[in-house]
This record gives sequence, structure tokens and C-alpha cells, in this order.
Amino acid sequence: MKPLSRRDFLKVGGLAVIGTAGATALTRNNHEHRVEEPGSGHLSHGMQQGDHGDLPGTVGEVDHEKNGFNPTDILTDFDYGEVSTLPGGQTLREYNIVSLNKNIEVVPGIEFPAWTYNGRIPGPTIRATEGDRIRIHFSNGSNHPHSMHFHGFHPGSMDGVPGTGPGGLVEPGDSFIYEFDAEPFGLHLYHCHVFPLARHIAKGLYGAFIVDPKEGRPPVDHEFIMVMNGIDIDFDDGNDFYAVNGIPFHYQNHPIQIKVGETVRLYLVNILEFDLLNSFHLHANFFQYYPTGTSLVPSEFTDTIIQGQAQRGILEFSYKFPGMYMFHAHVTEFAELGWNGMFEVIS
Amino acid sequence: MNQPVTQPMTNRLSFRTLILLLIPVILLAGVIALFLYTGGGLGLEAPVPVENLAVEKYVLERNEIYLHVRNTGPEELTVASVIINEAIMPFAVAPSPTIPRLGRAVIHVNYAWSYAEAYGITIFTSNAIPFEVEIPVAFETPQPSPRTFWGFTLIGLYVGVIPVLLGILWFPALRQLGRRAMTFLMAATAGLLIFLGLDTLAEALEFAAAVPSSFQGVGLIGIGAVATFLLLDAISRRQTEVTGGEVDHRLAIAMIIAIGIGFHNLGEGLAIGAAYNVGEVALGTFLVVGFIIQNITEGLGIIAPVLRDRPSIGRLALMGLIGGAPAIIGAWIGGYTPSPFLAVLFLAIGTGAIFQVVYEIAKLIQKDTARESMPMTVFSGVLTGMLVLWVTGLLIK
Repeated sequence: MKPLSRRDFLKVGGLAVIGTAGATALTRNNHEHRVEEPGSGHLSHGMQQGDHGDLPGTVGEVDHEKNGFNPTDILTDFDYGEVSTLPGGQTLREYNIVSLNKNIEVVPGIEFPAWTYNGRIPGPTIRATEGDRIRIHFSNGSNHPHSMHFHGFHPGSMDGVPGTGPGGLVEPGDSFIYEFDAEPFGLHLYHCHVFPLARHIAKGLYGAFIVDPKEGRPPVDHEFIMVMNGIDIDFDDGNDFYAVNGIPFHYQNHPIQIKVGETVRLYLVNILEFDLLNSFHLHANFFQYYPTGTSLVPSEFTDTIIQGQAQRGILEFSYKFPGMYMFHAHVTEFAELGWNGMFEVIS
Repeated sequence: MNQPVTQPMTNRLSFRTLILLLIPVILLAGVIALFLYTGGGLGLEAPVPVENLAVEKYVLERNEIYLHVRNTGPEELTVASVIINEAIMPFAVAPSPTIPRLGRAVIHVNYAWSYAEAYGITIFTSNAIPFEVEIPVAFETPQPSPRTFWGFTLIGLYVGVIPVLLGILWFPALRQLGRRAMTFLMAATAGLLIFLGLDTLAEALEFAAAVPSSFQGVGLIGIGAVATFLLLDAISRRQTEVTGGEVDHRLAIAMIIAIGIGFHNLGEGLAIGAAYNVGEVALGTFLVVGFIIQNITEGLGIIAPVLRDRPSIGRLALMGLIGGAPAIIGAWIGGYTPSPFLAVLFLAIGTGAIFQVVYEIAKLIQKDTARESMPMTVFSGVLTGMLVLWVTGLLIK
């Protein structure tokens, strides 16, 4: 038992007295001051609730140039590789990918000591057509062993998992060529598979892998890639920030512009570590959903989907009305910790 | 037998002595410089800078949260992100997000907090080091206003002034007691004070835990308590030397008891004010009654040494105020500018003062028992004093 202190019993009596004092204080509040300290750039997109405090968000901008990538560009940055034709007529797509340690400013003022593919989070979006030959020249430019593990059909020696051959664990300074045919068609992903796996993924070693069907998908006005990720800034095996395409709140601060009636195809991948699931909710709209993109027939017409880690799918939609429309994880905690964005629909 | 050789002591600081004194200092400077320059061969390099950010207080206004922080780490740090209940919030830092060592800053967030709910705040520095603040119960922080000022004053009156003065009202009745009973009462006072002294020390230690580590709270208690003890002791000796009268001496002791109890009540007021600020306190009628019962013994303690004398009513009232009124001042300070540093200092002073008074009373009792042996009176008196506080504590806590 704690030694007796007269202060202790002050703590036990509930809130009677203060309750009244606080309630009076709340009813009398008509002072509407908003202190604006100099140098505090406030949010530019109306992310305030007027008299009810600010909405969650970041102040200022991360240094995209120093980071070496901008999530706005990543949206439409599909890497089709260096294309040539093999003797048998098969299309060959070659990619150079290097793993690098890199500090990335994820929230203004905070750098995350990330591990990256080609210096960005997520890594390059590798895109090919079903049946193409993929050849990845992977070199490890970091000081930890890494690998590239693709989801899709391929021989075991190309699986990028320790114990499956030289491609399973590429030592610092070494390199390896992963080679396989792109199949099946759909939306896939790749990531490092060296142990401890959770840390290697959480540090940033992942990217999307799109295999288009031979006959292609119906044409749309916009194709976007979004990789949902988390950032464990203090290495306690729990995410501190959430994002799509690397930087929390990026599309809240920089809304994605589309026009009324334009068709949008969204490739959505969840690589979130530590948390069991992630989700995507589109405001004031519904979308056709193609889980894993392996069918050309949608499975669902909805406005919210849930994905576990490594689950992915294709969303198709268009907007009927102009306006600002949120999209975010409907795990709302994630949304307020960075996984929130806006579509700005103009007429 | 040889004549012992006596070397004449010279107080003069010769040039040679000065050099001898300075040599180790110069060498020390050299070693430090060498160590800083070469790393001393230890190859120590922290992968992440050591940072420490203390949240000294928070202020809640409608839709606003202000965090008063101090950088207590070895180097400057930069506040980079503020997360409130799992939401990243825009924020502003005045005067600057970069806070120098031991510098202070105020983090301001426009946040629509709700009355009586709990909030957890994480502050990330630019090196991604998190610091947590808990707001257990949110309510508007009392601002200096006639209303709250009067509220804190009332609390201080109830827990300090009124009970102490009530205890002093026993004076005429207790004057009728015999010598043995008076010695018993003195011993009981010593018991009360020992209990209060321990209580004060415990509170000081509790606050010391909240003081930023660079301020060394426990060391501060030592300094405050020992300095107060020795200073009061010196004053008391000097006073005896000057007047020499035993009556004056006993009056002086009563005054020092009043001062010691005053510091104790100041600490109590600080604690109450601070507890009010973090929403932990609810001074129900029952609790105020408890305070009056327990603190009435403090008034008794003040008058015990002067029972056989004839102090003026004004003098008695003054001592009552010195003992009780600091509770009001404590409540103001604790309520408006809670500072663990000040609380530790005041409580340490209280500890030193109270134990010094116990020492003085022990000397008085010794004089009494020298005339007439009454060992059980002293034993039972001290124990009674301690038990009175312990039992009343049991009843009201």
C-alpha cells in the first residue's frame, strides 16, 4: 500500500466541484481568438473546422527534391522498363533496381532512415503485359542483405527468399538478376523477403507490380497507383504515421485533380506492416472493385473495401458532381495519422 | 628530548602556492581539451542524439491546447510533430520549434477537445524521439480571475488558517494543565511534527520525480532541508545568546514551529492548487471537514511550548496566521503556475524547518525531564502525536 499522503484523498472525490466550474467555463466561452503565431503556415485547403479547431494534418511541406520523389508524380509513374524483343518474339522488359539506405523526410521536420528500392517509397511501379519476359538487374547498394520477392508465377530460384539460391539473399555490394514471365495478369506487388521480414518491409522495401491482360483493359481517362503504407518512425514495431505513396497527408495537401465524368482506374495495394488491415473509402461515390485485378469482371460495387497486408485490387469510378471529395482509410485512426487525401473534381 | 619543531603557519598566498594550486586545473583543462578533440580513444558516438523534453504544464482553453515545454536534454532539439489521440495535428511553437538547452517554448494546437475526456499527446522531435503527455481529465484551465482567485483563497482558508487558529483556541484550557501533562503535550507535539516532517519529505520526493532531471530534484531537497535546518538552528542559538531568557526562547520555538508548519501548509496548498489544475481534486464538504480535523492539531503544536507563559493574543493570532495562511499562497501558486521546481524547494524548506523544531522541542523536553524523571510520558506523548495524525488520516483518506 502506498504510504499515506494527505494529497491522495484529494484525488478520490470525483469531479463534483470542478465539474461545475468547467461547465460554467464552457458556457461562457464567446472569446473567439485564433492565435496565429508568426511562421506557422496554416493549411491551404480549408482544413479547419472554423470555430472548432484544426483538422488533423501537417503544416508545411516535406522536401520532395531532397527525398528524390514526389507522391503526386508516383501516382502516374508506371515503369515499363527497357523494351526489346527476344529471338522467339517474346517482349523483354529490363529494369535496374538498386536497394539504398536513404533518409526520407516523411513529415515536415522528421526524417525516416528508410531502406528503399531506387531511393523512393514505394519503389518503382513495375508494369508489363501478360507473357512478357521480366529481367530485373538487382544490386544491393546498402549495408544490409536484401532481396526482391515478387508475387506471381516464377521458379523457386527467382522467389527472392533466403534459402532458395543466390537470389534469396543478396549481400551488400552484390547483385542478382531476377528473370521470369509476367503472369498471371492482375495487380501484384514485390518486396524484400530477408529476415527480420517485418522490419525490412516497414523500412520501405516494397513496390507495385502490374501485369496487364494481353488484350488490355478498357481505356480510361486516368490511371493511378496507390500503395498504402505505414511509417514506424521510432522503431517500436507500431506505425506512427500512415500514408499512400510514402508521404502522410500528401493528397490532402495536394488534391488529385480530375474532371466531372472522367473515368478513373485506381490500382490499390496494401503493404501496411504491424496493423492487421487497411481500408479505402471513397466519398460521395461508388466504385467497381476487381480484387487482385485477376478478372475483368468486377466482384463488387461499393464505396469501402478492406485489405490485409499484400492484398490489392483495382477500383474504377467517375464523379458525377464537381467538388472536393475525400478518400481515406476507413480505419479512421489511420486517416487522422496521415492516410487521408482529396479528389478535386472540376467541371 | 628534542624541542618539537613548530613551523610558523603563514596565511599569505605565495606565488609558488598559487602555481601549485593552478597546475592540476591547467592539466585538467588540457585533458578535457584532448578528450573532446580525440574522443579519448573511446570511440563513443551516439547513433541518435540524446534528447529530453519536459512538459512543465498544459493549458486548455476552448478549442486550444497549450503545452509549456522545456528542453532538459544536453543539446538543442526541434519539435517536429504533434499527435493528439492518434491524430497528427497542425501546431505552432513560440518562440521557435528549435529549443535551446534548458530553453522553454509553448506549443499551440487548435484542437476541439471535449470536456471531461482524456487526451494522450505525443510530441515527436526532428530525430523521431517521442515524448508523451497525459491529460487525464480535460477542462478549461482556471485563469486568474476574481472568481478563481477567491476560490483558491477559500480553499487555503479552510485547510490552513481556520484549523490552525481553532487549535490555538485551546490555549486558555491547556494552561491549567500540570507540569507532567504539559511535557506530555510537548512530546505529542514532537510526535505530530515528526509525522508531518515525514509527510512533507515524502511529498517533496514525489514532486522531485516530476522535476526535469537536470535540476536534480532529490539533491534540491537535501540542499533546501539541510540549509533550513542549520539556518534556523543558528538563529535559535543566536537568539538564546542575545536574550538568554527561557521565556523568550520558548516563544521563539513556538514561532519557528509556526514557520515550519507554515511551509508544510504552503506545500499542501501547492499540491491542492496543482491537483485542481490537473482535474484530480474535488474538495467535497467531507474532505474539507477532514482537513480541519487533522490540521487543528497543528495549532495545538504551535502553542505547546508557550503554555506556561503569557504570550499576547496578538502574538498567538500572528503565529496562527504564519502557520495557516501559507496554504492560501500555496493554492494560488499551485493553481496558476504549477511548478514542480518551486514545490520541491518549498517542501524541502518545510522538511528542514519541521525537523529543526523537533530538535528544539527535544531540548525543551530534556530540560523538563532533567528536573523530574518521566520516561513513559515522553514515549507515550510522541507516540500519541504520531498516532493522532495517522488515525485521523485513516479516517479521512
